[in-house]
Amino acid sequence: MKKLFRTIVAMLMVVLSLFSLVACGGGNTESDSGEVDTDGNTIVKILFHVDKSSTEGQAYQKRIDAFNLEYKDRKIKASPSFKARSAGASGYETELLNNQVEGTLADIVTFDAPNTASYANSGLLYDISSLIDAETQADFYSLNKYNGKLYGLPIQESSAGFFYNKKIFSAAGINVSGYTVENPWTFDQFKQVCQKLKDYGKIPVDMRIDATKDEMAPYLLYPIIYAAGGSFTSADGYTATGYFNSPQTASGFQFIKDLISAGYTSYSIGATDFFTEKVGMYLSSGWTIPDLDNKYRDYFASRDDWGLLPYPQGSAKASATGSWSFGITANHHPDKSASIELIKYLTSPESSKAITDATGMIPVRKSVNPNYQVGSPEHTLLKQLELTGRERPVTVAYPTFTTSFNQVISGLGTGNVSDLLANATNTLQTEMNRLQQLR
Amino acid sequence: MLGTTLIILAVFLAVFAVIAIVDIVTAKKRKEVYRVKSSATAYLMLLPAIILAFLFILLPILYSLGYAFTDYYLLKPNDIKFIDIQNFKQFFAELGERGTLYHAIKNTVIFVVGVVPLQIGLALGLAIFVNRPGKGAKIFKVCFFAPVVISLSVTSYLWLQILSPSETGLLNSILGVFGAEPRDWLRDPNSAMICIIILSAWQGCGYQMLIFLSGLSNIRKELYEAASLDGASAWKKFTTVTWPGLRSTFVYIIITVFIGACRILTQPMLMTGYQDHTVTLSYYMYTQGYTYRWVGYSSAVAFLMTIFIGGVTFLQRHLLREKK
Amino acid sequence: MDKNLIKDLPNFKLNKKPASHTVKEVIYHIVGIILSLIFLFPIIYMIATSTKSESAYAASAGSISMFLPDFTNLGTALDNYKSVFTNYGIWRYALNSFLYAGIVIVLNVLINGLAGYVMAKLVFPGKRLLSFMIIFLIVVPVETSIIPLYSIVKVMLGLKQTASVIGIILPASISIFNIFLFMQFFQGVPKEYEEAARIDGANTMGVFFKVILPLSKPIIATVAVFCFIGVWNDYLWPSMILPAPGEGEWPLYPIQSALTTIQSIEGITTGEIMASLIVTSIPIFVIYVAAQKYIVQGFGTAGLKM
Repeated sequence: MKKLFRTIVAMLMVVLSLFSLVACGGGNTESDSGEVDTDGNTIVKILFHVDKSSTEGQAYQKRIDAFNLEYKDRKIKASPSFKARSAGASGYETELLNNQVEGTLADIVTFDAPNTASYANSGLLYDISSLIDAETQADFYSLNKYNGKLYGLPIQESSAGFFYNKKIFSAAGINVSGYTVENPWTFDQFKQVCQKLKDYGKIPVDMRIDATKDEMAPYLLYPIIYAAGGSFTSADGYTATGYFNSPQTASGFQFIKDLISAGYTSYSIGATDFFTEKVGMYLSSGWTIPDLDNKYRDYFASRDDWGLLPYPQGSAKASATGSWSFGITANHHPDKSASIELIKYLTSPESSKAITDATGMIPVRKSVNPNYQVGSPEHTLLKQLELTGRERPVTVAYPTFTTSFNQVISGLGTGNVSDLLANATNTLQTEMNRLQQLR
Repeated sequence: MLGTTLIILAVFLAVFAVIAIVDIVTAKKRKEVYRVKSSATAYLMLLPAIILAFLFILLPILYSLGYAFTDYYLLKPNDIKFIDIQNFKQFFAELGERGTLYHAIKNTVIFVVGVVPLQIGLALGLAIFVNRPGKGAKIFKVCFFAPVVISLSVTSYLWLQILSPSETGLLNSILGVFGAEPRDWLRDPNSAMICIIILSAWQGCGYQMLIFLSGLSNIRKELYEAASLDGASAWKKFTTVTWPGLRSTFVYIIITVFIGACRILTQPMLMTGYQDHTVTLSYYMYTQGYTYRWVGYSSAVAFLMTIFIGGVTFLQRHLLREKK
Repeated sequence: MDKNLIKDLPNFKLNKKPASHTVKEVIYHIVGIILSLIFLFPIIYMIATSTKSESAYAASAGSISMFLPDFTNLGTALDNYKSVFTNYGIWRYALNSFLYAGIVIVLNVLINGLAGYVMAKLVFPGKRLLSFMIIFLIVVPVETSIIPLYSIVKVMLGLKQTASVIGIILPASISIFNIFLFMQFFQGVPKEYEEAARIDGANTMGVFFKVILPLSKPIIATVAVFCFIGVWNDYLWPSMILPAPGEGEWPLYPIQSALTTIQSIEGITTGEIMASLIVTSIPIFVIYVAAQKYIVQGFGTAGLKM
């Protein structure tokens, strides 16, 4: 009996010792305050949004290793950590914000381009306008600006376009060789191609209007609205009325609705239908290139079987851009010089090339010149980015923009454009007014 | 945060002390006898549970309730102001506009009214079906439970394929054999909630089946034998023996399924995204709190939801409980 | 307490006449198999898909063949499984999950069992408040956001780096519902057992460990199984609070958190994802099948009177 009692006491001790561990954990955490290690190196902490074992994570790690080797003599050392954003909608962001509260925010963090406004507005990001010289700034395809100030430098660029099945096109007698980035096709020419594909008995185009659960549909479709001369918000990002519901914006959405009404696209195209040759064209971003090269050999034996067309253009020109960026945080380290060295290093032409070689995305720097073969899909994307790339609306209400945009796209099948836009504009404007109070 | 926590802890201990003292004073009246040693042992044995429950259950609840009265914006965690009942005012203002919130409440009600009877009915049917000896029944029992342990993301993905709006979608092609037109099940406001109700009941009923089974195992078999001797039909046996014997199990199940149904979130999130015809109250709350970052407002919605669900469950419990 | 309850369950579906008995049996099993298929089709689909290459998978999408394996390439059917183990090393995460689940089960049974026992059998001042709180917390489903819990674990308790494992284990070790289950179960244990032990000189703790716990196998099994399923399937909370693996360190992620990360790696095929999901579902099924009998008993004897 005594033995039993002792067991229980031991058990309770285990629980209590767990608590004391907790207490200790609270006591001696974070060597963070000391930004200099025992060897006299200044530590620059950097937080990445991907898993370390992914190709992208590996590419970052390699650049960090190279940096540490090169800056050994200058006593700067980068210390990376990786927190994949896949863990639920708010995983990475929650980590960022809680680090901010705890005062353990890394010196450099990554963030998705549309978050620039909210993060800058809330004081999470540090204004680096004066720390990056004009010449360097001019070498980037896009920059993370808010209210005229620079808050981040993109890691890699993206662009999207219409992948098309060359076998189907030639069998249907469609010639699209004339439609290039320099000489883009019009909305009407786009519809004509669709009609020919429909006559040939294929589903003409997968516009991804079914991808309205996350950022996918907004990312792929916003350029069409811009190209039609439309817009979404005012420059300061606090007004949607008069922009999101303008006649030009409506005409852009009407174009997409026309495609649905004419049977050129639908919500019911399966995610893999383009890859199994049921669909003629497929709106997607650069990440589809490796899929077509590797995963679907049974259908697309080589690059002779598929190609990439740019966005059709209307009264204005636009194509999709934007990806994740590096930003220096406004944390408790007042001296940003070491962080600036690291961020410059990681966005240098050399790093930009190394990272995009690994990920298959587009380099951020114009000076990289990756020598893509003319006419190759990579070349089309790069050219398009140079000539027509236009970023998504900059607004602190971006999350609401995403859901509103998605609701419009999702409603196009049955609803009429002006009602849908009135509703979306109302929702977005209400949210903007609410955010105005936080300004 | 530590300061607030200590204040909450002090209040908690004070309330407990007051009640304990009242207990001691009124002990005689209630014919209770408290012994020092036994009480001390009791407190000691309760201590780990109380510490953990305080830290990880009570504190988050209290903080969450507290946020309901603040302007907590996720991106400004260092700048939280007390704003009275502003959030609640906004809730009712938004409700009046018949926007997304109105749809969220409507859809949640539709879901609860649909799924509670369906899921409980399925669970009871399956429980009676497998409640017999033999290898077959044992294997079926495992099969029926299978969806409970498969992650919602896999089943949702699969149902998306089945309900695919194209002609080749599984359900559409099956119905097509009978000459039905293909339908966009999840984008059509008339069918979307029904699909979500069916798939939720299908996914969840295995768990309630187990609980019904345990209820059935508590019914003494002599009762069935007696009924057989009286020449009762299977239906008669069900109404006179099985049903009364399952009463307390049934109360428990109806309450838990109701609570679970009120909180539905994952299925519309994975199946349709944030759309007016499928948004639910929990989904609205989640979007306001995480996606739009209004933690304060989202907590206020949670507060109202808690009051509502709590009220209904207490009412259910009161109405359905066996009268002593 | 009768362990034989299950064996002599009412058998009212069977008929005594042998001929129609067989017919009824056949019908019963056919209906059972059809119903099972309705509930099993996600698993059938997962198994079928796990044997396919990406283009075979794409080709079968939306037709009945998505539930059938790729018969033309049976030789490569297990390739996805191989790559799940060799390329993504999921066994390490599985080991973590087993470890976390094991600790949680022990703590959960001890902590909630003790509390349930006290609430069921002992008299002490303040008991009314605690009983009220237990029922209140079960019946009133308080909607809380995960944000305060995160702040408590990370900011107040300061659980960072390796210590954040405690943030996985401790919150999972307390469950008001399990206290309630234990309480209901212990209320059904006759006083005589305890009194006999007390005459032998056992104190309260002694009674609990020596008399009560050995009698409680069904309820312990029930709690353990649901603890296991809970810990094994949870991914959101662990991925939020655990640090991502650093250089050459043993990763702290449990299996489902690792899976959500692996699923987002570029180049992973649907077949590989399904193979990893199947591999990680196996322990749950094994444990569920093994403990199924006890679960029914556990809920049954606890009574679940709210």
